[in-house]
Amino acid sequence: MFEDITVDVSPMHEGERIRSANMFVELAGPKSIGAELVQVEDNVEDGKLEVIGPELQDMQEGDIHPLGIMIKIQGEKLERELEGVIERRTHELCNYVKGFMHLNQRDQIWCRVSKEAMEAGFKLKDLAKALSILFKEEYSIIEAISITIMTGEDQVKEFVEKTRVTYEQRDARARELSDEDVDVFYGCVMCQSFAPTHVCVVTPDRTALCGAINWFDCRAAAKMDPEGPIFEIVKGEVLDEVKGEYQNINEMVAERSQGTFDTVYLHSVFGYPHTSCGCFEAVAFYVPELDGIGIVDRDFRGETPLGIPFSSMAGQCSGGKQVEGFSGLSMEYMRSPKFLQADGGYERVIWLPKEIKESLAEYIPDELKDKISTEEDGGSIKEILKFLQEHEHPIMERMKQSLEEVEETPVEEEEAMEYSEMDMEAVSMAPVAYAPELTVPTAGGVKIIFKNAKVYAEKVIIKRK
Amino acid sequence: MIIAVSGKGGVGKTLVSSLLIKKLSKTGKDVLAIDADPDSNLPEALGVDVDRTVGDVREELKKDTTQGRIPPGMNKWDILDYKIMESVIETPQFDLLVMGRPEGSGCYCAVNNMLRKIIENLSDNYDIIVIDTEAGLEHLSRRTTQNVDVMLVVTDNSKRGILTAHRIGELAAELDIRFKDLYLILNRVQPEMEKEFIKRAEETGLEIVGIVHEDDEVALYDMDGKPLVELPNDSNTVKAVSGILTSILKD
Repeated sequence: MFEDITVDVSPMHEGERIRSANMFVELAGPKSIGAELVQVEDNVEDGKLEVIGPELQDMQEGDIHPLGIMIKIQGEKLERELEGVIERRTHELCNYVKGFMHLNQRDQIWCRVSKEAMEAGFKLKDLAKALSILFKEEYSIIEAISITIMTGEDQVKEFVEKTRVTYEQRDARARELSDEDVDVFYGCVMCQSFAPTHVCVVTPDRTALCGAINWFDCRAAAKMDPEGPIFEIVKGEVLDEVKGEYQNINEMVAERSQGTFDTVYLHSVFGYPHTSCGCFEAVAFYVPELDGIGIVDRDFRGETPLGIPFSSMAGQCSGGKQVEGFSGLSMEYMRSPKFLQADGGYERVIWLPKEIKESLAEYIPDELKDKISTEEDGGSIKEILKFLQEHEHPIMERMKQSLEEVEETPVEEEEAMEYSEMDMEAVSMAPVAYAPELTVPTAGGVKIIFKNAKVYAEKVIIKRK
Repeated sequence: MIIAVSGKGGVGKTLVSSLLIKKLSKTGKDVLAIDADPDSNLPEALGVDVDRTVGDVREELKKDTTQGRIPPGMNKWDILDYKIMESVIETPQFDLLVMGRPEGSGCYCAVNNMLRKIIENLSDNYDIIVIDTEAGLEHLSRRTTQNVDVMLVVTDNSKRGILTAHRIGELAAELDIRFKDLYLILNRVQPEMEKEFIKRAEETGLEIVGIVHEDDEVALYDMDGKPLVELPNDSNTVKAVSGILTSILKD
């Protein structure tokens, strides 16, 4: 099949690197320009292979040249949506060619040809030939393929410009990809070495808590390392679309958390929030006095409205725990259209460190931008409440409504009273302790557990016994 | 073949590493030097400049990810692979990868997981790899040196240097890391103390593969910040390290 190609073509050459000391020429890469593009077209002339610009034999040892690889494909079942996926294979298939190194993708490729391949008489035309055969072998839906390799400066420059437009269109489509568009989600247990019950669920609308891996990365990782810590979860039955509850996710979480948890909501901090590892980029926390949600990121050093800094909060909800009212999350998730959608999304957010608020400017709805407080608007509950009132944060409407509701029922009136009293007290009293779960030892076989407990005191006395 | 050079800080790991690399690069083999000590100066000893380290690349990728600057259609493995290749310093004699600064705060699981595979893959392309490890024992407990074939432990005649050497031997056994060979190199040996030094070094239970004597010329190079690889071929230190390499490669 590859008889007329003078070097070996086989998957065993994948991962081949060519040291500059053993290199004949470098193509594209950090010191030049280059790109590759796969395009689905009509009327593709099958088997047409072209090299426009200098061939390897016209180059000098040690030269650096631009490189463009244009692959046109045609087939009855081929759709433009598949271009990106097929293009991704260019990297691996180029590396099948012994003596040809190919790194990365799109307009970030970097190639080298070894001296050895050059001595064997290898040409860029051979690369085109090998690719045309390999692509057809790999994807039977490709009925016709033509490949053009460009090495001339002006032509590659023009080609790179053209490819960028296509990449942008593809990215725009990918950004719009949502949980509804896919059949497969991914699970990741990379953090289980220190958070043994933590299972990360990654969907198009929800990146991993560490922010390092999104749905696309998981898809690539699960393929590259099928035995690895990242695995597929067939989406299956949706139990609650708004909260983000899925039958298969619940089952997978139960299995991978050794039965510790059996329910997870992807888009809420209430009920059964996602477990938290320890490496999340930020934490969303419920502020009961204001019935709102605050978010603090790892880089914020000050105190949160709960009276504790990020580090203490992280300590309380990390390690693979599921703590109601808390959820570790990634910065990217805050850019997701499903961001805590079950809780009201940004309408429920009352406090954010200024730095993240600024970085999220595009994603926070315009009408809410000035209504969410930051550390500059004061740190105490009272100050935040004042800010929210002054700026007419939608949470005030919510609080009013819930107060009205309880006022209608006399039994709960007491509660409403308590609420406002506590609010007053919070002003003059200092927070002493805060715990997502606090157990008070009692006698008589009863245990009292406070969830999301906050202890306030007028005075704290520490005495040596 | 992977050779790692370890020991307490300041005992001469970089001296041994750089001279091994110098000697190896003359054999026509593809040599990769890895500077795994965040506080080391292997690049200076080898006389090369470093623009970007693996640590810098790691931070760049993390920052780009957090700020949402990576296009959804791009694969992070490939981006990292490219950046790592870019941070390899290539010379006609050898290539050098500098690990650089340690991690900041936050989660590095994902990026380190990718890095491990990428560096493993990169390393497969070389005939010989020389790792100048970080001082102490961390590389053992973190298992960054578990695939090493020859572990060279360097010590000077200080009690703490010898103690570290002893611990490296012990810890490797405890963690069940089986190097094909584990050797001790005595550095800055003063002739009048040589006998006593050897006696004490032998108590570590490690086989002594070579002795490098106190060398004024090395001290002078160090003082002036001159690359150690420029030491003349007839220097006693260069000859001693060449001898060590011959013994290692003999098996």
